[in-house]
Amino acid sequence: MSPVLAPPRPDELDAMFAALADPTRREIVARLSHGDATLTDLAQPFPMSLQAVSQHLGVLERAGLVSRSRAGRQRPCRLETRALDAAVGWIEANTRAWTERFDKLDAHLRTLEHP
Amino acid sequence: MTADQQELLFHRVVGAAPDLVFACLTDPDHLTAFWGPKGTTSPRESIEVDLRAGGVFTTLMVSDHDGSSYRMRAVYDEVDPPRRLAWTDVDTGLHTTVTFEDLGDGRTGVDIRQTHLPPGIRTQEAQAGFLSSLDRFDDHLADIASGRASR
Repeated sequence: MSPVLAPPRPDELDAMFAALADPTRREIVARLSHGDATLTDLAQPFPMSLQAVSQHLGVLERAGLVSRSRAGRQRPCRLETRALDAAVGWIEANTRAWTERFDKLDAHLRTLEHP
Repeated sequence: MTADQQELLFHRVVGAAPDLVFACLTDPDHLTAFWGPKGTTSPRESIEVDLRAGGVFTTLMVSDHDGSSYRMRAVYDEVDPPRRLAWTDVDTGLHTTVTFEDLGDGRTGVDIRQTHLPPGIRTQEAQAGFLSSLDRFDDHLADIASGRASR
């Protein structure tokens, strides 16, 4: 799953909606919407094993909704807001990407003026 | 209106003359500085520009967080410096046309018009309806819609 700007393919959308159809996984997504968290943090509220929560995370990861940092032993999980954007409104995500790109262009032009 | 008839319009005034803004959008040395939206980078060596109608325009956007990436592969339809630039995304069929308007005061009005929206997004209205009915999700989706949840 590509995190940026790619218009979602129907199969990617299917995977996202299937992933979100489960209440535990929605809880995890809701928790991650407040900030990155480790597997241990995420598992804490659930009456289930770490392994079971890890499996739910795997589903969210494969659906592109959650990513896990490559850095660090804790490998914190992050909600891929762009993927969620793509699921609920690629058009809005696309507009925001152009805005961010032109913000960066403005900054780039300033460095050209004052190197 | 269905998505295939839709066009997306984006307008921005940039504080530089058309020649420079056009160069920024077509020169890999410039593109690498801004092409990747927030949270991503576009490495210089991954950008390919063959600036002529029929030439390739390829960029890679790499997530700063986990290194995952998205390659955009496009072919230029029109190259008319410093007035007009158009390309078609090879994978999705999305057409993008950029026009550069000289505002005469050292600034440029940039208009981006996108047409031939990919079929995948056509069903999203229905799917968004499904999503918003899910418990606890409404607030977060509202945040996303208003841009508050963006990183």
